[in-house]
Amino acid sequence: MGTPVVLSSAPSMAKLFAQAAVTARGRGGSLPDTHLARVAVEVDPGQVADYAQVCRFPLADTLPPTFPHVLTFPLQVALMADRAFPLALPGLVHVRNRVDVVRPVGVGERLDLEVWADAFAPHRSGATVDLVASVRSRGDEVWRGRSTYLARGATAPGAPADVPELTIGDVSEAAVWRVPDDAGRRYAKVSGDVNPIHLSGLTAKAFGFKRAIAHGMWVKARALAALSGRLPEAFSVDVAFRKPLFLPSTVALSTGAREGGWDLAVRAQAAGTDHVLGRVRPL
Amino acid sequence: MTRQAAIVGGNRIPFARSNSKYARASNQDMLTATLDGLVARFGLQDQAVGEVVAGAVLKHSRDFNLTRESVLGSRLSAATPAYDVQQACGTGLEAAVLVANKIALGQVESGIAGGVDTTSDAPLAVNEDLRHALIALNNAKTLPQRLKALSGLRPGQLVPDVPRNVEPRTGLSMGEHAAITAKEWGITREAQDELTVASHQHLAAAYDRGFFDDLVTPYLGLTRDQNLRPDSSLEKLATLEPVFGKGEGATMTAANSTPLTDGASAVLLSSDEWAAERGLPVLAHLVDAQTAAVDYVHGGEGLLMAPAYAMPVMLARNGLTLQDFDLYEIHEAFASTVLSTMKAWEDPAFCAEKLGLDAPLGPIDRSKLNVHGSSLAAGHPFAATGGRIVASLAKALHEMGPGKRGLISICAAGGQGVVAILES
Repeated sequence: MGTPVVLSSAPSMAKLFAQAAVTARGRGGSLPDTHLARVAVEVDPGQVADYAQVCRFPLADTLPPTFPHVLTFPLQVALMADRAFPLALPGLVHVRNRVDVVRPVGVGERLDLEVWADAFAPHRSGATVDLVASVRSRGDEVWRGRSTYLARGATAPGAPADVPELTIGDVSEAAVWRVPDDAGRRYAKVSGDVNPIHLSGLTAKAFGFKRAIAHGMWVKARALAALSGRLPEAFSVDVAFRKPLFLPSTVALSTGAREGGWDLAVRAQAAGTDHVLGRVRPL
Repeated sequence: MTRQAAIVGGNRIPFARSNSKYARASNQDMLTATLDGLVARFGLQDQAVGEVVAGAVLKHSRDFNLTRESVLGSRLSAATPAYDVQQACGTGLEAAVLVANKIALGQVESGIAGGVDTTSDAPLAVNEDLRHALIALNNAKTLPQRLKALSGLRPGQLVPDVPRNVEPRTGLSMGEHAAITAKEWGITREAQDELTVASHQHLAAAYDRGFFDDLVTPYLGLTRDQNLRPDSSLEKLATLEPVFGKGEGATMTAANSTPLTDGASAVLLSSDEWAAERGLPVLAHLVDAQTAAVDYVHGGEGLLMAPAYAMPVMLARNGLTLQDFDLYEIHEAFASTVLSTMKAWEDPAFCAEKLGLDAPLGPIDRSKLNVHGSSLAAGHPFAATGGRIVASLAKALHEMGPGKRGLISICAAGGQGVVAILES
């Protein structure tokens, strides 16, 4: 493991997305051994309130379980925007995300963040890579995240990753969400994820999508928010992002209690296509 | 079957000053956090209680099912029924009485009573003219009808209706009403300031000795009530200008009146058996309660004087005198309200003519009054005050030993009042 590069503040994501776009060509090679880190990060309670509102979490003294992703995401993007990263950031698709809430994290805790890339592997439609995040408080790991991205048509060294497909058991419809046109812009504002594919139809078209698509992490967060009060103290939540959720849409959240946790699905209400499948399990 | 409901314990979040620490928290956020704190304290996770009864005074229309929605977001079992009540500042105590009555009748074995209010995340309504225009627009079926409805819109209608602490029938604020009563009863500025300083000192001392350790759960960075000023003194209070009442005789200031506050509280009540089965304590029982109302509009009585009327009815029913109590909790809506109420109970003419009593109820031993501070220091998120008082008083009586009696008196908007007796 390389020595972490410690950043004094969160990098600007608009700049990184631009930098990644102009340096997209000619990428390749193997994964850099870079670890990016920030230490003693204080969470802005105002940002937590904004995030909670957009994702529909209650405002509590502990962070929404997906909130640390928002803290570590700029480091992920910085790592991927760097020329040493083998895949071009524009066109990367978030296909899977696992979050481990080791314990509830207090809003007032000072957090040490570390992010690195892992598991660069061939995939039937290209190559995948995992961006791993670890969040510590007073030395103890309190939160982990693993985001898997797919680069269609790209190549990676070695054998295909041996990751089983995420499957779920029976679920039944729990709620209908009318997801508005501006859902991407609202989440971008509170998360800093200003990837143009989420912001408007026009910017999404530039990247080959017919309309703007919802952030996968917003869909995941909102599904967890719907389970507020019904989640274990320490848990993992693993989701697969299937078909993009075009904005606006009406989708349904389905849930089923399983193994002390939940199976869940977010599906298009009309067509029944899967947008997100997920499993929540106690740790 | 009737039996007395046990008070097992309580939980509240520290009360915050308006537009401060809890500015981003909704009523539902605060009530959910408060319920979760109670659940954690008494090991109720995933369990159903008989009923959760709570309310808010300032409520958004989307909060029509506030308590049930809060239960669904909490760690209580989703199989816990809930309903909302609203009796202005009497909401919290009335909720406790309702839960206690169902327990007394054997209809439930346990229940949670609570209340919440925010003056920060306030329910602004659209201007009444705009509302009518929008309803007309919504009902319009044809283009000419729509255009006609739209033609009724004016820029001035964009000014929202802000909820105000005003009696709809008199147009006077609660403070202005209290100032009239204070003047009638000749309540001095000095007496009000003394009560205020005592409230702050008592609350600070109670925090310092850890009294609230099992009654309060920190929330959004607050660990104590934000309005609390332990260094409050008569000299400092004397420098403040009156804010209610007019001219020479005005006595009511921002310090001896409660400020607008945000917060929530909850109390766990049960049958003795339910508590015993779970190894939970019984701090006190809710013995009896009484409400009363006065005609403050046309009847010449003060807006906040209803508890004065409720008290003798409840005392007589229980064969008790006003002096038969070890602790008194008179809600400090305003210092002058507490003092006017006590003066009325001592006044032979008032007790004879208004209350129809042969003799005055008499004085209260001031050393037993609001001994852990009250609303002047803690603040008063309207519906949350009753739960704060019930839980604190039950704990205080329990500390004193068995057989101790406590009296609660809470005044409310609309000329109403709720009083109750607790016994350890």
